[in-house]
Amino acid sequence: MKSVLFSRFFILLPWILIVIIMLDVDTRRPAPPLTSRPYFAPYPGGRGGARLPLRRGGPGRGREPHNESWPRPRPPPPEPPLPTIYAITPTYSRPVQKAELTRLANTFRQVAQLHWILVEDAAARSELVSRFLARAGLPSTHLHVPTPRRYKRPGLPRATEQRNAGLAWLRQRHGHQRAQPGVLFFADDDNTYSLELFQEMRTTRKVSVWPVGLVGGRRYERPLVENGKVVGWYTGWRADRPFAIDMAGFAVSLQVILSNPKAVFKRRGSQPGMQESDFLRQITTVEELEPKANNCTKVLVWHTRTEKVNLANEPKYHLDTVTIEV
Amino acid sequence: MGWRAAPAAPCLACPAHSRAFLPTAAAAQLTRSCGPSQPWRCRSGGTSSRLCSSCSPGRCWSPCGTRAPSRPCSPRARMTVVTPGARRPLARTPGSTACLTGTSWRCRPVQKAELTRLANTLLHVPNLHWLVVEDAPRRTPLTARLLRDTGLNYTHLHVETPRNYKLRGDARDPRIPRGTMQRNLALRWLREAFPRNSSQPGVVYFADDDNTYSLELFEEMRSTRRVSVWPVAFVGGLRYEAPRVNGAGKVVGWKTVFDPHRPFAIDMAGFAVNLRLILQRSQAYFKLRGVKGGYQESSLLRELVTLSDLEPKAANCTKILVWHTRTEKPVLVNEGKKGFTDPTVEI
Repeated sequence: MKSVLFSRFFILLPWILIVIIMLDVDTRRPAPPLTSRPYFAPYPGGRGGARLPLRRGGPGRGREPHNESWPRPRPPPPEPPLPTIYAITPTYSRPVQKAELTRLANTFRQVAQLHWILVEDAAARSELVSRFLARAGLPSTHLHVPTPRRYKRPGLPRATEQRNAGLAWLRQRHGHQRAQPGVLFFADDDNTYSLELFQEMRTTRKVSVWPVGLVGGRRYERPLVENGKVVGWYTGWRADRPFAIDMAGFAVSLQVILSNPKAVFKRRGSQPGMQESDFLRQITTVEELEPKANNCTKVLVWHTRTEKVNLANEPKYHLDTVTIEV
Repeated sequence: MGWRAAPAAPCLACPAHSRAFLPTAAAAQLTRSCGPSQPWRCRSGGTSSRLCSSCSPGRCWSPCGTRAPSRPCSPRARMTVVTPGARRPLARTPGSTACLTGTSWRCRPVQKAELTRLANTLLHVPNLHWLVVEDAPRRTPLTARLLRDTGLNYTHLHVETPRNYKLRGDARDPRIPRGTMQRNLALRWLREAFPRNSSQPGVVYFADDDNTYSLELFEEMRSTRRVSVWPVAFVGGLRYEAPRVNGAGKVVGWKTVFDPHRPFAIDMAGFAVNLRLILQRSQAYFKLRGVKGGYQESSLLRELVTLSDLEPKAANCTKILVWHTRTEKPVLVNEGKKGFTDPTVEI
């Protein structure tokens, strides 16, 4: 009788251990992406390069020290989850749209825990962007809101409605649950972002700022910092603005966005170049700003602009026999 | 570290047809002790009035294609060939093909931005070696630092396009297309890095820094056996230019409005070449002078392949995987004449 019990115990023991190990691995695994992986899965980071990808997990995690003494050392406490970076990108239909989104996605795919909120200036989701996002290979949300025609004049602020739609989505998604750590920034689709920028902004507690290259008629604009505090603005255009900073030059913590549910980008009464100031003064003060990028002395984002393409040779008649998406 | 040419090492021979193909002494910083003065002429023909860069131990340099008169070589003239650091073996996983991408740069305000976002794309591509050739008299710290920080496998070269090649000349002497000398230097580096009969699988692609590349493009080009082609968006005044492919999957022409009768009416971003072909046809380079607009690609491809040998990719050339985007020149009016911002802050 005893021998039967023992044999059954030892038969079951390895299976019990396997279940325990699987449960342990499962609790350590990060949350799955919100969109399904595409057919063409990108490669994480570099291949065998010296540079460690920004993604956590895998070979980047530290190993437990090998310790043969008894009792066994406790496993290290689970690392706090990385704050998710929410990138709100307004976009609109034009010939270079897919190209811009492609190279922006190539950058964003390098960044761990990034959620891309793409907001089209359109009455409906376009097939081009929908198809693109399905294969993009990163967590994303596809929104759309059209800009009223009366606001599509030169000199008026652009993408206001789209950024507000992104903010509304975030507030709706996180409003009635315990806010997870997160950082929001506004990523225009023609700018250029270095990967280091995302590391810098991830530690934002309230609102962080940094220099932006190739903007304001200068090589760069930046906040002036003394003793770790922002005291002014180094800018080539309207330095008297309360927050003389470009849209690409700041990030806001998710908590601040949720705590200020009425903070949106203004349309009425907003002057050109005041969009950022009108928004930021609803949620913070200059004294509270957190300077990043080595006390705002390094340029990690560039306000590049793409030339309008020359389509002078496009025929009106005798079109191609196939329709190719560009 | 540099390529130190051994006294008996072959130097930059001027190819037949007196076609200048390579950097001048000043640009390439080739140094070598010169022996007794010798007049230099192109090896292929003594009657050619062009002075070529052929040399052998004891001979001096003269810029290819210039009209500089021959002059005695100073015994102190030296030529140094600067190496791309160590000769790295191409990183590759066993059994797969390495992609080699050449990018040529000039110093300009958007340089670091362009370099950054191109690197962000290339980081996704496995088995890639990035050949970066600066249009500069020396390797700039900005580029060197950035390349090092990306973690990519790379080689950093430089060759400066002489001023007279950059300035618009008369009708008989137009300026050369941009990036020509840099691409030629990269081709030369490849031929020096690999023996002629090398079995190293590889594909060479010319990637300008302001274009946009999808990741799928690199996987398409990896299967190139000789020369593969595909459509490119935003060139020739069209949404895209594409090779014309017949039902049998052969390239039979070009869907383009701008000069469709070019031998290869394709943009630089629209083709890739198998490394073996580059090594076998060791005299094939981009033509420097006398190249009409739009014919630069043809000047190389006609040395390598015929139309019927081209391999169409991207679903028989019906998908756009590369876009010829161009970045606006940034407005820096507020910098003033002397510069306003701190020049030590790198952008």
